[in-house]
Amino acid sequence: MIKRCGKLEWFLFTLIAITLFNTFLGERFASTVLVNIIIAATVTYKGFTVIDHFMELKSGNKHLRFLMKFYFLIFPSMIIISAFY
Amino acid sequence: MNNNMNSEQSNGSLGIFPKSWSEQHAGRIPGNIPIWVGILSELTEFAIFFVAYFVAKFYYPDVFITGPQSLHTSLGVANTIILLTSSYFMAKAMVNIRLDNLAKCERYLWLAFFCGCMYLAVKTWEFHWNDLQGFSTNTSEFFTVYYYMTFNHFLHVGWASCAILWVIFRLRSGAYSAQNNAGLEALAVYWHMIDLMWILIFPLLYVLR
Repeated sequence: MIKRCGKLEWFLFTLIAITLFNTFLGERFASTVLVNIIIAATVTYKGFTVIDHFMELKSGNKHLRFLMKFYFLIFPSMIIISAFY
Repeated sequence: MNNNMNSEQSNGSLGIFPKSWSEQHAGRIPGNIPIWVGILSELTEFAIFFVAYFVAKFYYPDVFITGPQSLHTSLGVANTIILLTSSYFMAKAMVNIRLDNLAKCERYLWLAFFCGCMYLAVKTWEFHWNDLQGFSTNTSEFFTVYYYMTFNHFLHVGWASCAILWVIFRLRSGAYSAQNNAGLEALAVYWHMIDLMWILIFPLLYVLR
């Protein structure tokens, strides 16, 4: 259980660090394709982390997990596509 | 007939999903089925907002470059950190109810509730700040999408915070334990869904230019 609690804290710090990194990218750089890809990838990672470890779908219903993860693949993909227009 | 209905309810399918979706075949459903019907409906609602965002950005690219630069980014970052932290507190509340540690579970629920209130306060301040800058729903297409998306999310955080109070009341009255906590878990997954939506909203409105 100590290990499990440690994991939750680690995920929280990682999610906050990614948020700050994304903000830095947005503030410093214009939305190029590369910036959009990085932001989309980090949004997907954040979504997957919450779905698997906070919602606990990693060990839960595989169909719900698929639907949730699919959502976090579709919209970040649209972030990448939006860089081209 | 009645026995068949009871067995359907006990395997968590309610008889409305294919057998392959049952807990025995596909794995445990966190919370309960009704909350997941709600969550999937909310995800559909927000999906429509996100599609509207990308369509509007396609037709009005200029206002979607200048729009995010007009916003108070620090308040958006603060709210992201607040919601992520609230999700962590909710996960910790679940860890503690499974240990039958009711006092600690309640403490984490209060912390999650406090984060919800903080979010609402920061967002209210942000709306006020926008108003002082002269921004409204009619300022540009970006602000129309911004207010539509963020105010809707604001409402979700508001009623989910009220739900935390209700769950704390139920916890105090002995409704939840290590063996029986589906109601608490249903609130937890709903709260995480709200956090997930903000994870998508934040880069769309504050980061991408």
